[in-house]
Amino acid sequence: MTEQGQVAPTRPYSANVGSMTHPQPANLADILERVLDKGIIIAGDIRVNLLDIELLTVKIRLLIVSVDKAEEMGIDWWRNDPMLNASREQLEDENKQLRQRLEELESSNGGGDSG
Amino acid sequence: MAEAARYLYAVARGTEPAQLADVSGLRGSSVEVIRYRDLDAVVSDVPLAEFDEDALKENLEQLSWLEEVARGHHEVVHAVSARAPTAPMRLATIFLDDDAVRRRLSELYDALVEVLDRVERRVEWSVKAVAPEPAPTPVTVPEPTSGAEFLRRRRAQADEREERQDTGARAAEAIHHALSEVSVASRILAPQDPQLTGITGTMILNGAYLVAVDAQEAFAARLSEVEETHGDLRIESGGPWPPYSFATLESA
Repeated sequence: MTEQGQVAPTRPYSANVGSMTHPQPANLADILERVLDKGIIIAGDIRVNLLDIELLTVKIRLLIVSVDKAEEMGIDWWRNDPMLNASREQLEDENKQLRQRLEELESSNGGGDSG
Repeated sequence: MAEAARYLYAVARGTEPAQLADVSGLRGSSVEVIRYRDLDAVVSDVPLAEFDEDALKENLEQLSWLEEVARGHHEVVHAVSARAPTAPMRLATIFLDDDAVRRRLSELYDALVEVLDRVERRVEWSVKAVAPEPAPTPVTVPEPTSGAEFLRRRRAQADEREERQDTGARAAEAIHHALSEVSVASRILAPQDPQLTGITGTMILNGAYLVAVDAQEAFAARLSEVEETHGDLRIESGGPWPPYSFATLESA
């Protein structure tokens, strides 16, 4: 039953298997996403809800692959981003109103000066 | 000694006690194996005062504590997986004594065997593709002269951004497809937070690939092809990882 086959031939990062004096070169984000979000969930005697971790729920998931993917995940902050589509109409309206207001001011001002 | 609990790192198959002699667990503990039939639960003692429910709730919110324990957990899993087929546990799987560990192994025996069969002689590779930040708008561009001009520019910027996202999504799909062909299984993970990675640019793909140990050269060759095809992206690969992303219990 002894199976040694897991040892990999090429291994840029597993090179320091067994060396416990240095941390793995793998970056923290890689490790966290795996040990917090992957791996087998077995209910132990100590109850812990890793989903409570702020880091996991907010930070790690922040960045967005694509609009579709993000919407699937329920992320849609860009809808309120004035740089983006949804607010174009709003911006145009605002702009129109401002120009109207400016015209009104100019015409009332102009009237005063000439008199 | 203060009261201790049993921290379960992984369940493996066919480990030899001598193989794990040089592996140290969290908080300087020594790693031990609790055997149930042909399954080996890889455990160590941890102080209950630091790992009970109340303490965990607080400790897990502190990035420095979390980092230390996550790296410690990973080091053990990693060491075990280099020696035997390994099913990694999620962080902080803790029991009060050895009997409790054995009880869980007996309850989940079939599912655990299935996982070990699935990951045996296979490793996980991580591949990320990052699109560089677009060049910033040159500062010499004159101020917009009218509201209409201002709006035109904003619209152009929005269009450009949308197009970038589309292109990114298409490239991500192509890369993922190419790598999946030389893998046993694959998963797309959520893109990572640049605050944690320090990566600038947009991560358009964060893929995990389960690769047969003897197919790693083919995987590496495919990866080079992908890098060549997508010269405009930064492609980062890491591995071999223990099969974290592919160790899931079907029924639990």
